[in-house]
Amino acid sequence: MKKRAVFIAIPLLVLVMVLAGCPGGKAAGTLEFYANGEDFVRQGFVSKDGWSIQFDHVYITLADISAYQTDPPYDPQTGADISGNYIAGLDEAYTIDLAEGGTDAPPILVGELDVPVGHYNALSFKMTSAESGPAAGHSLVMIGNAQKDGQSIDFVISVEEECQYQCGEYVGDERKGILSEGGTADLEMTFHFDHIFGDADTPLDDELNLTAIGFEPFAGGAQGKDVIDMGEMHLGHVGEGHCHCGCH
Amino acid sequence: MPNKWRAIAAVIGVLALSLLPPAQALAHGVNIQYNSDIEITIVAKYDSGEPMAGAQVVVYAPDDPSTPWLTGVCDDEGRFSFTPDASKPGTWDVQVRLAGHGGMIHIPVGGDSTATSGGVGGYSYLQIGLMAACVIWASIGTALYFRRRRLA
Repeated sequence: MKKRAVFIAIPLLVLVMVLAGCPGGKAAGTLEFYANGEDFVRQGFVSKDGWSIQFDHVYITLADISAYQTDPPYDPQTGADISGNYIAGLDEAYTIDLAEGGTDAPPILVGELDVPVGHYNALSFKMTSAESGPAAGHSLVMIGNAQKDGQSIDFVISVEEECQYQCGEYVGDERKGILSEGGTADLEMTFHFDHIFGDADTPLDDELNLTAIGFEPFAGGAQGKDVIDMGEMHLGHVGEGHCHCGCH
Repeated sequence: MPNKWRAIAAVIGVLALSLLPPAQALAHGVNIQYNSDIEITIVAKYDSGEPMAGAQVVVYAPDDPSTPWLTGVCDDEGRFSFTPDASKPGTWDVQVRLAGHGGMIHIPVGGDSTATSGGVGGYSYLQIGLMAACVIWASIGTALYFRRRRLA
């Protein structure tokens, strides 16, 4: 009887040890997830149609935030779903105020995870409807003031559409997502609000300004749902890198 | 002159001739050399087809993906060329940025172009092998256990 128990117990023990190590023997570090509305949100900017916009709050609700080690590296241009060798994800939904802090405020830490080392070269996240809080019922709420030619308008622009973003590697001044043993690496969800309002510092015939809405419709009283097609705006990025986007 | 000295003189003469510069022999010579290094050229354009003229380029070698191996600028047609170090096989990453937008291309060079370590779903091949062995072992053990009970 004892012999039989040992016969079964040993392989089970080994199996438990292997599973308990998942992904086991690999060394670990800390992976941080940040959200960044860039200087457009923190410092304000002039829209393509000449409105000087300042934001008091920009509430965005993010969920299903996942980092991937992909090989070959994920290319969002393909429009395919990310297929990663390893996935690390934050479970909760987070409502972030991208305008939080001063004009030089750093990107906002959303969450962090202890994960195996490696190169996290793909990221996916959802812009989803907030269940509670200041943006309840909306995925994006922009609150601020816009001025042009002596006019001053306080605005609240809300978006209800939900979007899924699938992104490749962060593109920017430094490389992100390379995690070594005991170290810390970060990934960034970057939101380009010039894609909605356009940018006076960019030529008007630039693709960005051709597809942007500008502020004029909102000055005329339009609601976000009336004029903003989030699928066309391509709000979510990884630094300067584009993401594959699907909205509904 | 004795024959011995004639022979020595002849040998010295032949050696002296062989040491003369072979200038005439090379008059129609062809000097061909080769270089096995492969030059890679990227062409960066926006989705609209407009070349990313003057875009910043950063090249990362596979052995140190955090540190730029080479930096440069695209020409007017969005082209940029570089020759990767053949002693560093793997995936070479090239980042291109201009005016707030950019992208990255991953170019396999040499034999093993895999960029990440082996394994599936975060498990190493050793772990996968151990798990498979355990499942087989447990199956056999369970079968033997019930077989013995039936025989008893």
